[in-house]
Amino acid sequence: MALKFKGKVWVFGDNLDVDKEIIPFREREMGLMKDGNFGKWVMTPVDPEFPKKVKKGDIMVVGTNMGCGHGHQHANIGIKQAGISCVIAESFDRNFFKNSINLGLPIIELEGINKNVKAGDILEVDLEAGEIKNVTTKKTLKFTPLPDFLLEIMSAGGIEPYTDKLIAEGKI
Amino acid sequence: MGKTIVEKIMAKAAGKPEVSPGDYLKFGIKDTYIQVGSDIGALNSREYERLGWDKFFDPKKVMIAPEHCGTWARQQDNVTNRESHRITKEWALSLGVPKENILDLGNVGTCHHLPIEKGWALPGNVYLHADTHCPTAGGVGCLGINLSAAEPAFLRLGWMWFRVPKSIKFNITGKLQDGVMGRDVFEYILGQIGPAGAVYQAMEFTGQVVEDMSLDGRLSMCCLSIFTGAKTGIVNPDQKVFDWFKTRTKVHYEPQYSDPDAVYAKTYTYDGSKIEPQIVVPPYRRTVQPVSSVEGTKITTAFIGSCASGRDEDLRIAARILKGKKIHPDVMFNVTPGSAETMLRTDKEGIISTLLEAGCLICAPSCSMCPGFYTPLAKNEVCIASSTTNVPGRMGEESAQVYLGSPATVAASALEGKIADPRKYL
Repeated sequence: MALKFKGKVWVFGDNLDVDKEIIPFREREMGLMKDGNFGKWVMTPVDPEFPKKVKKGDIMVVGTNMGCGHGHQHANIGIKQAGISCVIAESFDRNFFKNSINLGLPIIELEGINKNVKAGDILEVDLEAGEIKNVTTKKTLKFTPLPDFLLEIMSAGGIEPYTDKLIAEGKI
Repeated sequence: MGKTIVEKIMAKAAGKPEVSPGDYLKFGIKDTYIQVGSDIGALNSREYERLGWDKFFDPKKVMIAPEHCGTWARQQDNVTNRESHRITKEWALSLGVPKENILDLGNVGTCHHLPIEKGWALPGNVYLHADTHCPTAGGVGCLGINLSAAEPAFLRLGWMWFRVPKSIKFNITGKLQDGVMGRDVFEYILGQIGPAGAVYQAMEFTGQVVEDMSLDGRLSMCCLSIFTGAKTGIVNPDQKVFDWFKTRTKVHYEPQYSDPDAVYAKTYTYDGSKIEPQIVVPPYRRTVQPVSSVEGTKITTAFIGSCASGRDEDLRIAARILKGKKIHPDVMFNVTPGSAETMLRTDKEGIISTLLEAGCLICAPSCSMCPGFYTPLAKNEVCIASSTTNVPGRMGEESAQVYLGSPATVAASALEGKIADPRKYL
């Protein structure tokens, strides 16, 4: 997986709960997502048309405490399946943060992102360099990149492909 | 410079002299087990098959238990939960997990009740689990961290990466009023600091109220800590904790404590004697109000159970309120003991009989109504529950409304058929 992305911004608010706003709990529990495609349910409680409107490579910009509530990974899987290349938040819930890296969903934590980005802007993101270029406003924002070993897990596609790599290299 | 209990437990687990907030560590578990639920286990086994993985990091450290569904015939991916248990059991045995590490219904309970009862989550140690609420173990001074999606990889690797959180200290002074429980203290804090008040930080609960509090109350507070965005919640262990484990483990453990000069991101002090029973009002998990503001709201259903309650103290206070009375005829009141052990103890105390005489339904120890397994809410029902969360659809139909409150508040409300303040019954 590359560590650079370019895409159009979708903006959502604070405290998005994995089961309330991101992937509706009841529909999942009722078995309506048995096909494993959580992507077509992403953010539907907030915007029922979102999965149809979002394009591959688009970027989600959200507020504080992204992915709060239970640690259900369907939220991270769904966002990835919907085609979102990267989630940028003011702050992440701990479970969402951890699941994103372990499932290979690129994330960036950057306080103040919402002041500098609006819906529809085009962003260029470089996870390794710690840089977000707002192509629309021509502004560049800096963030602290994740440590190398987490970028390695993320770019391997998550903790399972990373484990596979360690097995193949005879390290475990 | 001093260190917090969380920093000390993480340093010990990682084999480092000390760690600081923001450090990334890799560690596994020592002298304990990774407890795998049967329903999640069946999914893990499929993941193992897909990836072609054929071993655990240490099969002797893997414990299997049907600790979510109970006797409920959940059909996930066209597989019932007994079938999930069979698949998990056979998979585990084939990878060398000893027979005695495989538990079954009758000897189990809700996931985070088990490690406390079996002595797998010990003071100063780490407790890892795939479920969100493993910070529960913080109630006995054990650091509970949720593995979530990383459980299959953990079973193969034997370690996982972790970031050391900052800690926030919550100093609860004074004495709680009778009928105000650990749960109310947590919800009160949530109301004060908000759902993002402790994002990626550890909540450390201290003060006279916490010292006086039962283990059941502390476990309940720590269980719920994640609803402020926290990584975990914890209480410095004391004699009550050591007494509890005396007969439950032969493992030598080293309790950890925060140093007096430990560094906290913030410290909040609240007067516990002023805390009223608290209610979380639907549809958000973040709207916390004192019971007086919603008193009189009609309910159809009540529930005590899940990892957030269902402990001895919770059933005991419900029995105190309901003794010699009948619940309101319009209400169905599901009381699910958190574990077989709690069920046995409360039965011996006469609590179960009192609840049955009052008209409660007693279900098999499990997550029960919390995720809508047993007695899921019907359309437009209004429920008051002492379980974990109230997101729409969590406990049944999406149109049903769920208020959250302490077990005492739930019992008093079941009695009146409307949301009620438990203090008048105590």
